[in-house]
Amino acid sequence: MQVLTKEKVKLASLNKLQVGPYSLVGQSLKRTDARLKVTGKLKYGADYVLKGYLHGKILRSPYPHALIKNISTGKAKQVAGVAAVLVAEDLPGRNSFGAIVADQPVICSSRVRFVGDGVALVAAETEELANRAISLIDVDYEPLPAVFDPREAIKPGAPFIHEKGNLIEHCKLRKGDVEKGFSEADVIIERTYTTPYVEHVYMEPDIIMAVPLANGGMLIEGPMQAPFYVRDNVAAVLGVPINLIRVKSVQMGGGFGGKDDSPIDLGCRAAVLAAHTGRPVYISLEREEVTLQTSKRHPSIMELKIGAMADGRLVSFQGTLYNEEGAYSALGPAGGVNRHSMIMAAGPYDIPNCKVDAYLCHTNHPTGGAMRGFGAPQVCFAHESLIDELALDLGISPFDIRMRNAFKIGSKTATGQILDQSVGLIDTLKACGEAFEWDRRYGEGGALDNKGTRRRGVGIGVGYYRTSTGSKRDGCGANVYVLADGSALLYSGITEMGQGSFTVLPQICAEELGISVDDIRLVQPDTDLVPEAGPTVASRSTTLMGNAIILACRPIRESIMTMAAEMLCVPVERLKAENGVIYELDNPMNSVPFREVTAKCFAEGKRLIGQGWWTPPSPSFDAETGQGNPYFVYSYSTQMAEVAVDMETGEVEVTDYVAAFDIGKAINPNAVEGQIEGGIAMGLGYALMEEVAFKDGYIQNLSLQDLLIPSILDVPNVRALIVETRNRYGPFGAKGVGEMPNIPTAPAILNAITNACGGRIRSLPADPEKVYWAIRKARESTSTIR
Amino acid sequence: MKMFCLSFKLNGKSVQLSVQPAKLLVDLLREDLRLTGTKIGCREGECGACTVLVDGQPVNSCLIPAVKVHGREVLTIEGLEREDGVLDIIQESFISEGAIQCGFCTGGMILNAKALLDRRQEPDESEIRHALSGVLCRCTGYRKIIQAVKTASRIRKEGRGNKG
Repeated sequence: MQVLTKEKVKLASLNKLQVGPYSLVGQSLKRTDARLKVTGKLKYGADYVLKGYLHGKILRSPYPHALIKNISTGKAKQVAGVAAVLVAEDLPGRNSFGAIVADQPVICSSRVRFVGDGVALVAAETEELANRAISLIDVDYEPLPAVFDPREAIKPGAPFIHEKGNLIEHCKLRKGDVEKGFSEADVIIERTYTTPYVEHVYMEPDIIMAVPLANGGMLIEGPMQAPFYVRDNVAAVLGVPINLIRVKSVQMGGGFGGKDDSPIDLGCRAAVLAAHTGRPVYISLEREEVTLQTSKRHPSIMELKIGAMADGRLVSFQGTLYNEEGAYSALGPAGGVNRHSMIMAAGPYDIPNCKVDAYLCHTNHPTGGAMRGFGAPQVCFAHESLIDELALDLGISPFDIRMRNAFKIGSKTATGQILDQSVGLIDTLKACGEAFEWDRRYGEGGALDNKGTRRRGVGIGVGYYRTSTGSKRDGCGANVYVLADGSALLYSGITEMGQGSFTVLPQICAEELGISVDDIRLVQPDTDLVPEAGPTVASRSTTLMGNAIILACRPIRESIMTMAAEMLCVPVERLKAENGVIYELDNPMNSVPFREVTAKCFAEGKRLIGQGWWTPPSPSFDAETGQGNPYFVYSYSTQMAEVAVDMETGEVEVTDYVAAFDIGKAINPNAVEGQIEGGIAMGLGYALMEEVAFKDGYIQNLSLQDLLIPSILDVPNVRALIVETRNRYGPFGAKGVGEMPNIPTAPAILNAITNACGGRIRSLPADPEKVYWAIRKARESTSTIR
Repeated sequence: MKMFCLSFKLNGKSVQLSVQPAKLLVDLLREDLRLTGTKIGCREGECGACTVLVDGQPVNSCLIPAVKVHGREVLTIEGLEREDGVLDIIQESFISEGAIQCGFCTGGMILNAKALLDRRQEPDESEIRHALSGVLCRCTGYRKIIQAVKTASRIRKEGRGNKG
């Protein structure tokens, strides 16, 4: 990481940064699970020994939209070794699941709504037998007219996918008076941008295990981001009280939001098979099945209009978003992707008049769920492209127009929220601009490279992102137990998918107690053992769970420090606990080992257990106007890309990349960089190559052969800069980082492409074919010839 | 079905067992030999998570029948660590550089790096990228992985640490 010492000092004085004397926080401690991973010893879901488990399989719809006229399972049931063949009538409880709205059938009874919808479940002794049973189930379908475009789906006369119609919700945002704003504007432009379905492509395919318990309950275990969602859904589907379901999250080989809801789907289905047969069942997906049936990033069609004064001041913003939900609600409505994309649509700019309408629409495609950024990457691509197009018309540089309008302390967002703390966007613009040498390189945009076949260009993208889900129920609980020998147990329901929570959360706990991370054992997230934590999503984990851990440590610290004060004959205020020793601040020789103090506490019945519960400041949001404070703090990022565009083939190489982030406080800088570098790679993929391609409702690229993600040959060495503007509500000033990195990346790259070759691409991905035709179009157009 | 009497060296030890001709190497390792460090990500040779070294060469174990390693030497990620628990330089470098996030691609990355460094002492960045291009990573953006290989290369060249 480039350490901009001069910059950091300047920023520190600007922001009154609390550069605290922490012993562990702010250190790039090694990951607690690194050794297990480099030796191949960490057990992922598929590494469990599953002897005696039945193999579960799902029979899926081959039609995007059809009625089920008849289903016969007789032949399938007769195969020796097949333990269960279930249809909808066999289900014991609620026949639906979902992370926010439970509207997807565990087994479809009368109608299928996308290719991949579940029609029957099978459990057998082996995978071969399960496959044979699947092939012997006869289903008579009556295909129905299908609809694949969200705008078409909500027009009158479109075939209804659900009884209530295809418009799930219409969210509205109204700030000021956009028409008045447009009438005052010197320049107005209107553009439409589109983004496709995109897959998470976590390297570890999904797997879930369901084990019936003697008390009539069920154990569900597997890679998952949201054990509590899985528990609640499985309880409803089995028709039992929640307290009979136990769910354990296994460390994931990647999640990115996809394992927020795919384990709910598979968990419910494995559970009903296990309940029916009385035996453990596992369902394991092949890569193609992951692509076929799991939730994806919502596609979006974004019709935007922006008005500005000649000096670059933005005065009016209007957006109509058509977010494609697919067949079922998943994480779209009720505060999900639809509302969030509306809130973020105008970008991190202080614009007095904003009007946004976000329509969430069913289609006969797979569901839109949670994927890193949760609606923000779509709208950020749109507003950052729009700002660049506007800047071109105004004759103002892309950097200057952003500096002029960017959020700062005191700005009012599109929802009317006044940002009163921790707003480092302009710091990121300055830091990035300086490190990237923006002014020089922008001036050289369009230059041919040394071989004369490619043109270079640079582009900016800025963005912001929430910390927390914004739901009233958002909260985190933690339990901490310190034991007689000074070792500790940490109970947290936040899961590990590679982002580093299993390192950062113990790091915060160790800092608070004054011990080392090695003295803490983090217990596997198990709903029988850990308090409610919510899902590991929305970049909330370090902040919300970090705060819960700090609160949990308080009564323990009180016992320990009081006892140490007695043992050292020094008032408590004069003591510090650090690295397993408690010492007198002015006389460090007067000290006692942490473990001696804990032993004495234990012997005298002093409390060494603590529980913390932390919720963010209460969100507010008016459903009619979209005004309020939906989230309590935001992170910010400026990203700059350099590309080389092959003028003959349309291929784009990203040759350099610098990105600056305001994330409050880097608890573990190496882990923060990891999120930045990885997130930018994901954004690069979104920009240039990622798309789940559909034809008449059928996915054309199920396998990794043509479902592309960036390889090591595609991603340049990203230079990450961290800016710290302290979040007063965050542990040690921290706020979220997990999703911020892949949000402004696509527009930074696409803006760079335009700077290089004059061609403007308004739909992702900017694959070579699109770039080629954009170059041709730019050449033919008199206003943008290069 | 006629079974095949397979004999090969696995992580330095001789192994003999009876296998079905159609059994894939990755399934033999994971199911029969309980070595689950080799991962399955795609079953079609695209992701590289199933990489093992066969006579020092990286191979997608999901694409070859186990019988193909008859008489050969196979190294899995579990075989890199020394008997006394001391890690290989490449493993240590991955840890110290922070080149591991979810860890699913880590075995494939490390083994491809080992194959590279065993035949080329000081690869430049382009050679490192090409040698690792058969393994997909969704988490790291590859930067720290490349850094880890450079670090390992430097340490090996300087003769420091254990020779992996």
